[in-house]
Amino acid sequence: MPITLVNPLDETHRPPATAAPRLDSLAGKIIGLLDISKPGGNIFLDHLERLLKQRYGVAAVVRAMKPTFTKPAPDSVIAKFIDAKCDAVIEALAD
Amino acid sequence: MLDTGDQAPSLSLTRIDGEPFSFLTGPQTQSRLLVFFETDCPTCRLAIPYINRLSRELGEAGDILGISQDPEQPTRELIAEAPIEFAVALDRDLSVTKVYDPVAVPTLFLIGNDGRIIQTLSGFDKRALNEIASALAGKALVIAEPFDGAPDTKYGCVSRHLEGDVSGEIADAANPYAKRGARASRIELDDSVDPFDYCMQFGDPLPVIPPTVERVERMLDACPLPPDEVIALIPPNYGAATVEKIAANAVMAGCKPEIMRVLIPLVRAVCDERFNIHGVQATTHFAAPLVIVNGPIRRELGFASASNVFSNVARANSTLGRALQLILTNLGGARPGEIDMSTLGNAGKFSYCIAENEEENPWEPLHVEMGFKPEQSSVTLFAGESPHGVSEHSARDGTQILKAISRALATVWSYRVCAGVEAIVVLCPEHVKTLYREGFSKEAVREHLFLNTGIPLRHFEDGSGEGTQYIKLYNQVTIDGEPCYLKFQDASAIKIIVAGGTAGKFSAVIGSWAAGPRGSQMVTYPIAD
Repeated sequence: MPITLVNPLDETHRPPATAAPRLDSLAGKIIGLLDISKPGGNIFLDHLERLLKQRYGVAAVVRAMKPTFTKPAPDSVIAKFIDAKCDAVIEALAD
Repeated sequence: MLDTGDQAPSLSLTRIDGEPFSFLTGPQTQSRLLVFFETDCPTCRLAIPYINRLSRELGEAGDILGISQDPEQPTRELIAEAPIEFAVALDRDLSVTKVYDPVAVPTLFLIGNDGRIIQTLSGFDKRALNEIASALAGKALVIAEPFDGAPDTKYGCVSRHLEGDVSGEIADAANPYAKRGARASRIELDDSVDPFDYCMQFGDPLPVIPPTVERVERMLDACPLPPDEVIALIPPNYGAATVEKIAANAVMAGCKPEIMRVLIPLVRAVCDERFNIHGVQATTHFAAPLVIVNGPIRRELGFASASNVFSNVARANSTLGRALQLILTNLGGARPGEIDMSTLGNAGKFSYCIAENEEENPWEPLHVEMGFKPEQSSVTLFAGESPHGVSEHSARDGTQILKAISRALATVWSYRVCAGVEAIVVLCPEHVKTLYREGFSKEAVREHLFLNTGIPLRHFEDGSGEGTQYIKLYNQVTIDGEPCYLKFQDASAIKIIVAGGTAGKFSAVIGSWAAGPRGSQMVTYPIAD
């Protein structure tokens, strides 16, 4: 006999989101670096900042840090990148 | 922001119901309360029911005005949806907001008869809400009870007039505050499909009971809530956990219908932001939510608290724990190997649910310690590793038992990490008997463990390795004549429960995930009768 199941999975409708356009070049761009506040993240990002400026001609680097790696970034952290009109943001995991 | 003692500037607004609301600077005929809010602020949503209660308590005598910083349509939607029972006006050009200058929303300004601001509250704070309510009522008035499932305090959102320019493309997300969700779709299976095989795609890799319409209906019949009511949105994907979806997962886990009574508050608890299930689900650490059941419900629904309490002993424990895990995976989306990339995982991700053995606990049980009455059943959640056993069969006194436990506690997270971690100590009945006989109270046990769990300073001499970078945070103590860092920052990091069978001197220690406000905090929720 056919049976009918109640779908137990998430069926929440989510409108599709498109990814931000990719940059053609890093030269002259403003790049955000997000430290998620794990140990060692600053070491990695310091190195990355040097590379971005010296090798790729990035105009400015904006740094922000999440208060804790265990939770999503609060609006105030994201706002820092938006206010600085970053062209792209790199988020760093560390440990 | 205007502060206590400042003259309240004159104000003239039209309420959303068309009535004017205004006053001039200077002496007033009565005290009044201004509540600045936004329609998309979770803290405002949290505060509204309490201000409704105040409005009801004050009745005609009350003079409360909500001032919305948002346009008419979302404000009207919030008024209908929350609902808001007090008068509301729109601050269309934020002119009133700019004068009062709240730093955050919600901000409450209590204005006295003399026209001066008596008290302000930015964000959510139960104690301050009760103070404001009492001042307005002219008598002691409690509108915000402790332990009602809401946090004691919560930060608000930035006031609209202080927001930066955040114009840009923002995804049209689903309304996170909708109280009703869509009904679950139906899946027709014809005779050629084995329903058990078909359902292997749902949740953990063990077979589940197929959630047929009939079985889910029986589950729903045992729950007084409508099937489309949204109990919570489950991180990290924030899928809507409607009563019906919860029931379907409960069927799959093998729950009896009466378990819905526990499962509904458990789903609310797991989504309490203090617990931070988002992080618990997404971490590479071992943590899984441990459910601890307290109170009369243990006997009513057959929860095991004695021998084998952490394992395969009772349907209630095993199925409640499994139902929670299925809900987290199926509705929250933290599938192993995808969002959940835990390095080693934890057997508790199949099911991790115990009850406290209150009958063998001579002290107050966990829920009473958390502020509940003994007869109030409750569920507690702790983001924990697997239990680590502590065998101590030879000790002649309680202090020796605690010494064995403290050595296990010292290894929680990693032995040289002495901050940001907590632990549950599960005392077995035989160990408890010895401790109680010697006059140890629960607090004395906790204090003794706190002061005698430490890591010798000599282990830090090489100066590298996890935990060594935080030594400025650590506190020194001498244990057995040896200088040590205290393992825990505070005695409250050690939670104590009694569980297990009456034979065997085996206690256990359960290490936490990242603990405290920067990680996960233990939460306890009441179970309604």
